[in-house]
Amino acid sequence: MVKRKFTSKYEAGWSDADEKLLCLDTGSWRTERPIVDDEKCIYCGLCSLYCPTQCMIDKRDHFEPNLDFCKGCGICAKECPAKAITMVSEKEFLK
Amino acid sequence: MKDVLKAVEEEGQVKVITGNAAVAYGVMLCRPDVVTSFPVTPQTEVGEQLASFHADGILDAEMVEVEGENSSMNVVLGASIAGGRVFTATSSWGLVFMYDAMLEAAGFRAPVVMANSNREPPGILAVSSGQQDMICTRDAGWIQIAVENCQEILDSVIMAYRLAEDINVLLPVMVNYDGFYLSYLSEAVKIPARKDVDRFLEPLKKQPERTKLIPGRPLGCGTHGLLEEYTELRYKHCAAMERAKQKLDEIDREFGEFFGRSYGGQIEEYRTEDADIVLVASGSAAGTVRVVVDKKREEGVKVGLIKLRMFRPFPRERLIQALKGRKGIGVIDRSVCFGWNCGPMYMELRAILTEIGSPPMMGFIDGLANMDITIKHIERMIDEVYAASQGKPFQEVTWVVLEEEE
Repeated sequence: MVKRKFTSKYEAGWSDADEKLLCLDTGSWRTERPIVDDEKCIYCGLCSLYCPTQCMIDKRDHFEPNLDFCKGCGICAKECPAKAITMVSEKEFLK
Repeated sequence: MKDVLKAVEEEGQVKVITGNAAVAYGVMLCRPDVVTSFPVTPQTEVGEQLASFHADGILDAEMVEVEGENSSMNVVLGASIAGGRVFTATSSWGLVFMYDAMLEAAGFRAPVVMANSNREPPGILAVSSGQQDMICTRDAGWIQIAVENCQEILDSVIMAYRLAEDINVLLPVMVNYDGFYLSYLSEAVKIPARKDVDRFLEPLKKQPERTKLIPGRPLGCGTHGLLEEYTELRYKHCAAMERAKQKLDEIDREFGEFFGRSYGGQIEEYRTEDADIVLVASGSAAGTVRVVVDKKREEGVKVGLIKLRMFRPFPRERLIQALKGRKGIGVIDRSVCFGWNCGPMYMELRAILTEIGSPPMMGFIDGLANMDITIKHIERMIDEVYAASQGKPFQEVTWVVLEEEE
């Protein structure tokens, strides 16, 4: 006999994405962070499309990462056609 | 063209078609939203048939040409969790190539319906029949049904949608039919009118809606971060499997009322009422066993057949009921269970041995890679089980072809 109350209201591994997925604090794993040069940014949106965690925030004339969730994978920097994104070691920000 | 449409929608028809075409007709009648297929012998014709239905305008589905079976399962999985009715077919090498996606489909509780034309899987190349491919995927969390003839293929595909999409089940269903023996066998098949199939599937529209991906509502499926819920979800999956057993019996009965054909649900019993000994078989081999049972009955042997239709979930309760008190049982396996030196159906039936009164139970491995399970073989099996039932010493597992007199 199951005595515990079920914690999930779903039958399968469904989760309310904004509660579950974006609460994982994926930003804490990062070893490098993307720094966007908004002068060079051509506002094409490619970084936002490629971002696996969907954490690029639209600032209307350029994009910036939400560092709570950015895992520092560097895909945005690699894909940026204007080379406006540089990956910088987290060490630099410890000071 | 108008006549074709009328026959499909309104009148129904009787056609001499192959097992593969029977799959395609069954699927077409159920109006799937997304169909994928990738060619693999012996099921290639399923995709070809469905494509021709699509070209003829009698199948209004998104037909996705994929680059392999792994994509095939992943595409239907995506479409299924988005709320679509989906279908794909495969066999053997294709089936094992989609194994990870099959686990995903089961874990997501996606009501995918797939036809699998049983063929020997990789390892020893054999373009020939055998149930080993299905056995390779028995623990994937899918419902597995094995059928005997072309009519049962068509009917089982229709029933599979009722079972998979039932709100109390929500599990992927695999309809297995013997490759070569059934895939290429042409038989007269009654094809019901689509308006009647619509009516049969109607209860699915009346039940509460299942969880699905809806644009604008952020919902994750298969996302990480559920560790505390893992045991719970496994429990729910197993509970759904248990519910599926009785559900199939109900659906099968209802199908009988609608279309005049039913198959016993989880298992079919043939001449078992007063049987002392029983052979358990599945797939097309059950057809041959029927003939031999009739013959042996004429000779005075009280023998019956149990056709195992549902292999996952295992029809434990029905089998206990049907086998209790028998004096001897023979199990025919068209595949092997590595590490147990026996067939998997035999092994699983051994698990209920004490509950049925521990009669002599004999396993027969036969019919691997298109070796025919002949009338002679089955007569021998019945003779041996009969002797065992009379108290003679018996051999637990027999490799039928290898132990024949030359």
